[in-house]
Amino acid sequence: MLDVLRYAIKEAEAQGADDAEAYAAVSAESEVFIENNDLKQAKSQAISSIGIRVLLNGSLGFYSVNRLSKDDVKGAVSMAIKVARVSPKDRYNSLPSRSKVRLLRGIYDRKAESFEASDAAGLAAEMLQAAKSYDNRVSVDSGNLASAVATHALANSNGTELKERISTFSWSIMGMAIEGSNVSSFDFQSGGSHFVKDIDARRASVEFAETVVNSLGPQRITSFRGEMLLTPSAVSELVEEVISHSINSDTVQKKSSQFAGKLGKKVSSELLAVEDDATNTEGLGAASFDREGVPHRRNVVIEKGVLKKFLYNTYTARKDGVRSTGNAGGSTSSPPSVSATNFIIRPGRSSLNALVSEMENGIIISRFSGNVNPVNGDFSGVVKGGRLVKNGEIKHAVKEVMMAGNVFDALRHLTGVSREQKAIFDSILPYMRFDNVSFTAG
Amino acid sequence: MQGSGTHMLDSLQSLISSSRGARYVEARHQSRSMTDVNFVNGELERIRVVENSGCGIRVLVDGCWGFSSTSNDTSFDALKESLGQAIAAARALAKTKKNRVQGLAESKMVKGTFRLKVRGSLSDVDIEQKVQVTREAEKAARKHSKAVRAASCVYHEMLDHKLIVNSDGAEVEIYDSKPEFSVTAIAKKAGQSATAHEGVGITGGWDDLFGAKSQFDYAAAASERAAKLLEAKHAKGEKTTIILDPGMVGLLSHEAIGHTVEADFVLSGSVVKGRIGEKVASELVTLVDSGRSDLADNAAGTIMVDDEGVAAERTAIIENGILKSFLHNRESAMTFGTASTGNARAFQYNDEPLIRMRNTFIEPRSDRLDDMIKETRHGYLVKGARNGQADANGEFMFGAEEAYLIENGEIRELMRGASISGNAFDALLSVDMVGDKFQYDIGTGYCGKYQPAKVDGGGPYVRCTAVIGGLQ
Repeated sequence: MLDVLRYAIKEAEAQGADDAEAYAAVSAESEVFIENNDLKQAKSQAISSIGIRVLLNGSLGFYSVNRLSKDDVKGAVSMAIKVARVSPKDRYNSLPSRSKVRLLRGIYDRKAESFEASDAAGLAAEMLQAAKSYDNRVSVDSGNLASAVATHALANSNGTELKERISTFSWSIMGMAIEGSNVSSFDFQSGGSHFVKDIDARRASVEFAETVVNSLGPQRITSFRGEMLLTPSAVSELVEEVISHSINSDTVQKKSSQFAGKLGKKVSSELLAVEDDATNTEGLGAASFDREGVPHRRNVVIEKGVLKKFLYNTYTARKDGVRSTGNAGGSTSSPPSVSATNFIIRPGRSSLNALVSEMENGIIISRFSGNVNPVNGDFSGVVKGGRLVKNGEIKHAVKEVMMAGNVFDALRHLTGVSREQKAIFDSILPYMRFDNVSFTAG
Repeated sequence: MQGSGTHMLDSLQSLISSSRGARYVEARHQSRSMTDVNFVNGELERIRVVENSGCGIRVLVDGCWGFSSTSNDTSFDALKESLGQAIAAARALAKTKKNRVQGLAESKMVKGTFRLKVRGSLSDVDIEQKVQVTREAEKAARKHSKAVRAASCVYHEMLDHKLIVNSDGAEVEIYDSKPEFSVTAIAKKAGQSATAHEGVGITGGWDDLFGAKSQFDYAAAASERAAKLLEAKHAKGEKTTIILDPGMVGLLSHEAIGHTVEADFVLSGSVVKGRIGEKVASELVTLVDSGRSDLADNAAGTIMVDDEGVAAERTAIIENGILKSFLHNRESAMTFGTASTGNARAFQYNDEPLIRMRNTFIEPRSDRLDDMIKETRHGYLVKGARNGQADANGEFMFGAEEAYLIENGEIRELMRGASISGNAFDALLSVDMVGDKFQYDIGTGYCGKYQPAKVDGGGPYVRCTAVIGGLQ
């Protein structure tokens, strides 16, 4: 693979590029789909792709092709140069200089090489079984179990040459519980791992089944202002998107981030600590280097509620006169963007049980369905799978309740973060409790 | 796009005839070339050209579906290996799958080559011109109106060459070309902002895209509208008479009705289950999904033949108010004891065909827009379909960019973007006037259902009753 990349760089230089980068990925994937309480289809695929980025007099050219023969790569290089010749100049275009990368351990399992579609089918069947046997009112609408072994490699004209292999397994399940004409809220649960031995698809199924059964027989409540306790899934829907948008240097530079100009300032209650960490192997976003070959590191973004850092790739870093934080993201088929790797909200001190028992009047929210505006933080929508808590006790499921507010305001009213955390693909999130939320009964 | 079309076709044919033990085998080879150019506020935000090609193989073995794909190597040996993987995948399911696929409905398999008609081949237009047009339009949108402070422009094209061969006799070659172009303008003053979009997405060539309007026309229209919207007041929330423009009619037909009649959704319990033959809309409503560009040229969802080799013709979902048909692939058609409607579509070579819509629209009748306005005592004319959502029960909420207040048969003033909501079937039952001029207008959108699909929709102006709400 590195041979092909070296060839691409040499060819680009020969064709007149000032700088060149080639990023390739080759993977073998298999996946089994669940639909309507049954297995639906099994799929296996071999994917390979290369993205060529060239710089010519400050202009960027990009071309991607999903074949790796020398002829294809040569053609891709000349097309990338052709694109650069018609692109406007941008003085911030540059490639990172070569830096030392220490390869991560714990993201590749040799046993993944022999994991086949039949293994995936067996596990998917177990997932279905686990959900149905938890309670026969559970109905699985869809789900999947996927495995991938991928090698990604990068070379550039500054002498960078990197390659590593990553194995990932991921699974998901969604649906509802049905009892006569009573249909519960939808729920979605998922999980992921890098190692075969860590696949625990049953757990997601049981959690899904428990959530939908608990949300059966909802009762009407009256409108009130009180506390909300978000599960990790709801945290990801409501809070994560807004924070990860706001800490991205690209949105900061384009003035669409509320955090612009707030470095060193308090942006939330002291209980909030956020980091971006691709070296945490519990998240599926773990890798040793980013989309342009910059080594990954742990970036502390918010500490005790204070904004510490934005996430940068080489381009946005150059605009601000700082160093890349290793957050060049994207696939082989696009030039690098800026993105979070593993988005982590650090665990707090309270147990989940304590968070519930301290609640006077509030709702536990499994999912949130509605609109969240990542720019200004406004959200409005419907609570899914909500359960009413009074004086520390879970009372009953609630009929769909409207909830509207602002995420940035809510972060100032954060009153508790759980010790328990959950990895959801490339996020690792705790339960979070907020005060002063207004719920409107329908 | 690829000179080796015939060679690949032969290769797929021998592959199909070599397979043993599978009840059905389908091999699709697809080469796609995609170009994106995007300017934002005077800067190049994104430029890329992506070429993807490969072969997807789907098999039905022991009542189970297996799928495999390969891209880097499409030699005969590699295809054979891939076929072996698809069969192994299907067999892996056979151990645990409860309900086997009963079979595929009999369908006439298409043979032949289809070139979707274009004026001005996109591959003959240099990328320099694509960059220039995008750059000029973005700049023009900012310069055209003083109030406009920010703008962006996107050009996107997708060129496809497809070969579809299956063991039931399909042998299809398709050349397709789908470009799109859109300009967004944002007007601002004292803490307020208003956004307007103007764009087009079609099946066709460069001259089809810029035939009627130039890049400057799109830019000027977006810019003027954003400036006008900035001065507009918000609409008052109420249930009232609403005249929908062709884009809103297309969005309603696709999102709120179309998805509920996709046979896979029907099977998992959508609101129309078991209601074929019932009256679900006003008798003025004939709602169609077609793989051809019926009634007007260049509809973006045009496919001619679906990915199972079935002709993608006109399917009347609702005819004169009566629910007539769901949308089927061959598997669901078998389950429902009917024929496939040619709705099996895959986005790329490595996607399996799913039941997807194509061009979804309401057919025109005889009312003139002027009369529709004149006969409205109080209500709104809403234009400019924006994103929306719809549930399996037909409940919908869509955004409209412009809402014009109508009082005593006359258009009064432009109001800010509003949301239109209600139950789609109730809205269709309330239809009392259907316009005479037809237009497609949602061709810049993609439909998402596990994988994207290029779709279109439209209609004439249609008058109905729905809830108009304030700003979304």
